Amino acid sequence: MIVDDTIVFIVDDDEALREALGELLEAKGVRSALFQSAGDYIGADKPDLPACLILDVELPDINGLELQRQIARDDHPPIVFITGHGDIPSSVRAIKHGAVDFLTKPFSDTALMAAIGSAIAQDRETRAKRAEVALLRQRYQELSPREREVLPLVVSGLLNKQAAVELGISEVTLQIHRRSVMQKMAASSLADLVRIAERLEIPIQHSRRMGGI
Amino acid sequence: MVAALRRTPPALMIVSLAVGLAACWSTGALFGVLAPLGALFLYARGYWLLAVWIGLLIAFAASALAALFYPGAIREAALSLGALVAVGACIGLLLVPAPLRRGNHSAVPRRPEPGQPEGFGPVPAHGAIHPDDRAAIAHAAAYAFWTGVPQVTGYRLRQPDGSYHWTELRAEPGYGVSVDIDAMVSRPDDRWSVAESLGTTMEAVKAAKVIESLHGKAWAFDAMGRFTYVTPAAQVAIDMALEDLNRRLGEREFIDGGEAGWMRGVHPDDVDRAASTLRHCLKTGEPWNIEYRMLRATGQYVWHRISARPTRDDNGQITGWFGTSIDIDVYKKTEAALRAREQHLEQLIDTVPAMIWSMTGAGHPVYLNRRMMEVTGATTETVTAPDGSLTLKRMIHPDFLEQAERTFARSVATGAPYAIKYLQYRADGTYRWTETRAEALRDEAGQIIRWYGVSVDIHDLITTQTELHLRKQELTRLVDLVPSFLWRLTPTGAPNFFNRRFIDFLGLDEGSLEQPQTEQYAAALKAAVHPDDAARVWAGLKDCLGSGRPFAMRYRLRRHDGVYRWMDGRAEPLLDEDGSIIQWHGLSHDVDDQLRVEEALRESERSLRQLVETLPALIYCAAPNGEPIYRSEKLREFLGFGLGDKDEEGKTRLTGTLDAIIHPDDLPDVKERYAHSLATGSPYAMKHRLRRADGAYRWVETRTAAMRNAEGEIIQWNGICFEIEDQVRAQEALTLTQERLARAAQAASLAELSASIAHEVNQPLAAVVANSHACQRWLTSDPPNLERAQKTVERIIRDANSAADVVGRVRALFRQTVEARSFWQLDTILHEARDLMLEEATRRRIRIEIDVEPGLPPLALDRIQIQQVLVNLIRNGVEAMEPTQRGALHIRSMRAGDLIRTEVRDTGAGISALEKVFEPFFSTKSNGMGMGLAISRTIIESHGGRLWAEDNQPSGATFIFTLPAEAKADHDR
Repeated sequence: MIVDDTIVFIVDDDEALREALGELLEAKGVRSALFQSAGDYIGADKPDLPACLILDVELPDINGLELQRQIARDDHPPIVFITGHGDIPSSVRAIKHGAVDFLTKPFSDTALMAAIGSAIAQDRETRAKRAEVALLRQRYQELSPREREVLPLVVSGLLNKQAAVELGISEVTLQIHRRSVMQKMAASSLADLVRIAERLEIPIQHSRRMGGI
Repeated sequence: MVAALRRTPPALMIVSLAVGLAACWSTGALFGVLAPLGALFLYARGYWLLAVWIGLLIAFAASALAALFYPGAIREAALSLGALVAVGACIGLLLVPAPLRRGNHSAVPRRPEPGQPEGFGPVPAHGAIHPDDRAAIAHAAAYAFWTGVPQVTGYRLRQPDGSYHWTELRAEPGYGVSVDIDAMVSRPDDRWSVAESLGTTMEAVKAAKVIESLHGKAWAFDAMGRFTYVTPAAQVAIDMALEDLNRRLGEREFIDGGEAGWMRGVHPDDVDRAASTLRHCLKTGEPWNIEYRMLRATGQYVWHRISARPTRDDNGQITGWFGTSIDIDVYKKTEAALRAREQHLEQLIDTVPAMIWSMTGAGHPVYLNRRMMEVTGATTETVTAPDGSLTLKRMIHPDFLEQAERTFARSVATGAPYAIKYLQYRADGTYRWTETRAEALRDEAGQIIRWYGVSVDIHDLITTQTELHLRKQELTRLVDLVPSFLWRLTPTGAPNFFNRRFIDFLGLDEGSLEQPQTEQYAAALKAAVHPDDAARVWAGLKDCLGSGRPFAMRYRLRRHDGVYRWMDGRAEPLLDEDGSIIQWHGLSHDVDDQLRVEEALRESERSLRQLVETLPALIYCAAPNGEPIYRSEKLREFLGFGLGDKDEEGKTRLTGTLDAIIHPDDLPDVKERYAHSLATGSPYAMKHRLRRADGAYRWVETRTAAMRNAEGEIIQWNGICFEIEDQVRAQEALTLTQERLARAAQAASLAELSASIAHEVNQPLAAVVANSHACQRWLTSDPPNLERAQKTVERIIRDANSAADVVGRVRALFRQTVEARSFWQLDTILHEARDLMLEEATRRRIRIEIDVEPGLPPLALDRIQIQQVLVNLIRNGVEAMEPTQRGALHIRSMRAGDLIRTEVRDTGAGISALEKVFEPFFSTKSNGMGMGLAISRTIIESHGGRLWAEDNQPSGATFIFTLPAEAKADHDR
């Protein structure tokens, strides 16, 4: 699994362990960046690659768990916690907050590498999803205002006629808009468009039933 | 000459005639006859003279005719004769007096020159005085000369025409007055008369004639005042004959108050007096004595004294009067002249600008001149005592009175000249300095007849003198009192004046004046100059004397007690108008003390500089604006450059230097702080990295403070810079240990402790595992990376050992082993523990004081454990004290028998349960584990000692632990 397009960030205040992990990852052909504190990590200029963050729970400036909480809102690499004396509550809390793994020192290289592997895979996936959604968002941005009005109505399952009435336009005009939306959003079918709308978290405003009643 | 010749007898004429004829005969020339001819002219008179003139005329006419009619030798002879005659006539004209020549016989009286009325004409030569009067004149002159009594003598003086004229001579010793008398003027129309009838005055006329025979002038008149006889000469002199005298001019007879002719001859001022007295005498028969002015024929009034006596018949009836009048004009005039002279003299005395006075031989004042009276306000009365003697009370200032009176009395008694200076009273009430001198005038017998004195106002002189004297005294005092040595040199360099201080300094003996002052001074000066300076000083002085440049030099001078003192000598020449040097004025100032002070200052400055240079610190100084002005040698060595080496264009030296020597990371901060200090004057202290000459940055601590003058202005910044590289490194290490310990202490509960131990061990273990995997990986890779593998293995060993250490310690702690024990000075551990806690204590403003009894033996103990105990106790103490308390934590260590007792004393709240605190999990602190003291007690007990707590009075607690002094390091276990 020698991959150049991935990177592992290691944050540990213990220099010996930090060096050892760096050495191990290097031996495994994994690129790593070493930080001795949370502050260093936050302040560092990091490459935009699929990554994994190996984070010591006990850090001199801020606690690893606290760091996890702070960066939760941002896009951040999946976290693998390492700790000298792992207790159950903190590990549970870490996992709950999305940590990939919680390793207690000393840990085996397989465990570490597995954790790193799954973390990076997860990151890749996340990054891919983020890329797809980004593409869809971009397409959505290209829609005209009217088309943006048409889209939720269509994916809500309204008939053309109903949607046209809703918008106060003719059915023909609505059909033109619908076709345009389909094209612009690169949707092969209505089901496809519905799935895209779901990804874009476009709310379904009207149901057919409601309209029907 | 001519007059003298005239007096020679006719024998001379015969002699001259003989000489002339002899000359004619011997020379054959007729000129010889000139001499006898001259003699003829000189002596011939009357017809004889006429005959000579006629003779000469005939001779001249004859010679002229002969010269006309006869040629040749006869003509020449005639011409010669004619010339001779002409010459003779000329001589005649020269010799014969003019009146005679004019043939005028009227005699012109010879008068004294009118311009000199008071002049005393010379007594005429005897030859000019009538032979009958010579004896009388001589007698009178002699008498006057010898007696001093003025004499008036009448005598007859021969006039040029040979007649005699009456003159009077007044002879007085010392001076004389010649008075014109011309009573005897004879006129061609002299007229006088005699009465036809003498009447009853026969007897009186007889008496008058007797008087006339005696006196030359007399007259007589009858009882009615009518003249019956008047000496004819007198009538002539007054130009009045008897008829004129007796002529009745008014209605009444003279005796009845009428006017008689003679009264016309009396001066109008005198005439009434003369007439009334005469009438009175005529009536009463009293003798008539009067003086009045009588009009002479010459038209002059002449004083006469008139005396008349009556003659009486047998019945006693007045028959007539006879009398005489004596010409007293000369007396009167003399008297007037004398009076005028006396007046003049008095005026002189009064106007002389001096006060003149005189007194009798007995000392009675008689005269004060006007000036004296005016100036002093005194009069003869005020200076005369009631008994007539002199009193000076009102004249002399009381201070001088006694002296003046004594001097005066002595002078009066002895006749010695009198001289005194005193303050004399002035009319305006002031006193002025006056000098009075008096000399005695003595008579022939040597008796003092008069004292003549003069007083001169010398006030201005005296005051000026006094003032001058005072000024001189003042100047002398000034020169002598000036706290410097003043001296004066001649242009050649010979000293001719030293002031008193200088003389005293040199110890010159004023008394020894055998040698001149200059030589004495020169010798003293030569001897006083320090031998080492002598050559320099004399050469310098000589140079100045030659060139006229001011002299200025420092040299040593020997004081009278033999001590040499440094002098600052200066001299400048005094120049006269044309620029040549008159003398040199010099001043020597004793600068010995000053020089010593300066020397001491220099020495002190040198030693200070040495101090600064040798101090094991980097020292620098800066100007008030921060510009570097000094760097110590050590600082220059450290930086590798000097003050000006970093000067750059457009940058101040300060900026240039800071840019060059301060670590770039620290530079902004340093600059800001430095600028702040410069602006506010506050001290500057900072830790930063400083670039060493080799380029390495070293941590230094720099402190700078302002040096201010008396006014509080900053005059310099002084700074010091310590190298604290080692300190900083040590501090870093210390911080690390502290963190570990802190962590260890935090994890001091059993559970926490295990977790902590696990962490401490797991940390290196995790590294070991990771490194092992890495190593394996390096070895299994193709090709194997042995280098990296080797490096990884080294790390594995290191980390494994580290883990083993931790494990070992923990084991030791729980097993209470003494394996790690070695000998330590408790002192050292105390200080280490203090240093570890210092930051926290300082933050809480608590002082930690350590007091260790000297000479404690080293103890066998586990340094880390004991350190942990101490840190624990110190922390407890520090936390027990209020942060605002600013208290002190005392740590004392002393020997107590076999034990070494250590106390940690705080001033906190104290402990309520003294034993409970040592139980596990007992804590009074909110975040405490309650394990610290339990573990501490375990550790101390494992060392064979005890740990307990005591309460302090009034507050606080003391934790005490003991350690056995003789405890042995139990290595064999």
